Amino acid sequence: MNQRDLELLSAYLDGQLNPSESTRLESRLNSDPQLASVLTDLRATRNLLRKLPARRAPRNFTLTRKMVGQNPPLPRAYPIFRFATALATLLFVFSFGLNSVSRLAASQAPAYGMGGGGGGSEEGSQPFSAAAPAAATEAPAATEAPAFEMVPAPTMIPPAASEDTARTANTPAAKAGDTANALNPNQPEAQNPAPLVPSTWQLGLAGVAVACFLLMLIIRQLAISRWR
Amino acid sequence: MNEQALITDAQGGNLDAFNTLVLHYQDSVFNTALRILGDDDLAADASQEAFISAFKSIASFRGGSFKGWLMRTVTNACYDELRRQKRRPTTPLEPDTEDGEEMDSPKWLADPNMTPAQQAEADDVEHAIQHCLNNLPLEFKTVVVMADIQGMDYTEVAASIRVPLGTIKSRLARARLRLRECLQGFEELLPASYRLEDGIKVS
Repeated sequence: MNQRDLELLSAYLDGQLNPSESTRLESRLNSDPQLASVLTDLRATRNLLRKLPARRAPRNFTLTRKMVGQNPPLPRAYPIFRFATALATLLFVFSFGLNSVSRLAASQAPAYGMGGGGGGSEEGSQPFSAAAPAAATEAPAATEAPAFEMVPAPTMIPPAASEDTARTANTPAAKAGDTANALNPNQPEAQNPAPLVPSTWQLGLAGVAVACFLLMLIIRQLAISRWR
Repeated sequence: MNEQALITDAQGGNLDAFNTLVLHYQDSVFNTALRILGDDDLAADASQEAFISAFKSIASFRGGSFKGWLMRTVTNACYDELRRQKRRPTTPLEPDTEDGEEMDSPKWLADPNMTPAQQAEADDVEHAIQHCLNNLPLEFKTVVVMADIQGMDYTEVAASIRVPLGTIKSRLARARLRLRECLQGFEELLPASYRLEDGIKVS
């Protein structure tokens, strides 16, 4: 028997032949006992398969939300709090970075400020005509500072400034103050630089970040418990 | 059960609607997996995987036979399981004879704790058929399980496994022939009404 006949018999068994094919095959089956025997075998095989007992599923295969990675529907406020938490945290970290940079810049500033201070006033420059330029040039090397009988480099200015201030003390007080500032504007910052971002702001940002984060968690937990 | 409404709801993400479909089809899905894999535990795992996969991809179901679509999902899960088995081969279930050849009888599957009547029942056609199914090439086995065990028609099977109708006819005929040849080895187990004639030779 060939493959074609086998397919014909199998399809005939399932009623998949068209009427003319069926009629042709039936006439062949009547005259060919071997073909009829194969059909009987195929039918018996198919019946065996059909009689195979259907097993019940050993358990229910229903899905849980966890199985399919479904998340609870969160309220619209949730992403707002999430964004606020992220932003406040970012700004908080950024404020520290900003203050560190400003402090670093301030600590380097006196070297340049001193030179400016030395040459800033014609009057004040007179007694220090020798020392000031030297200080201006030597100042970057902080270790040289004691050679001028002064306190270390960052504090080299105050004497000069105080001298300047003293010399300008004859002028009205307000003017003296202005002059002192004008002579060396970096001076106060160099001694005790004020942070660019005040610590109260930093505390506020930290507070906002924590509050938003907690609110976010509460909203999420409420949504999950309601969802369940 | 309004199947179409449940499918639409499930496509919208309604898990409860999908679970109703699961409860309706889980026996068919499990039986298909069981006959393809020949192992209860593996079949249960593949069925669960199939339902998870079906839920995730239910949006891609564009009508037609939902059962056929599910059968495709479960056969894919079975193929994945068989691939995993191939990568991590285990000791074959079938013991060797004294000559070192694989035993070709399902009797070794018998549970020694059964009563003789249960034993006789267990030694029955089911094990013989499962044994013969296990020996079929996968593509034949899939077609014969869908058509003869699940009772799906040719077009449904063709749509489900996405092969032409002619291929389904050919695979089914050859699968039945191979099963017949295999079952001849278990003739003593078959009911008299199913005793087979002498061998067929296909050229």
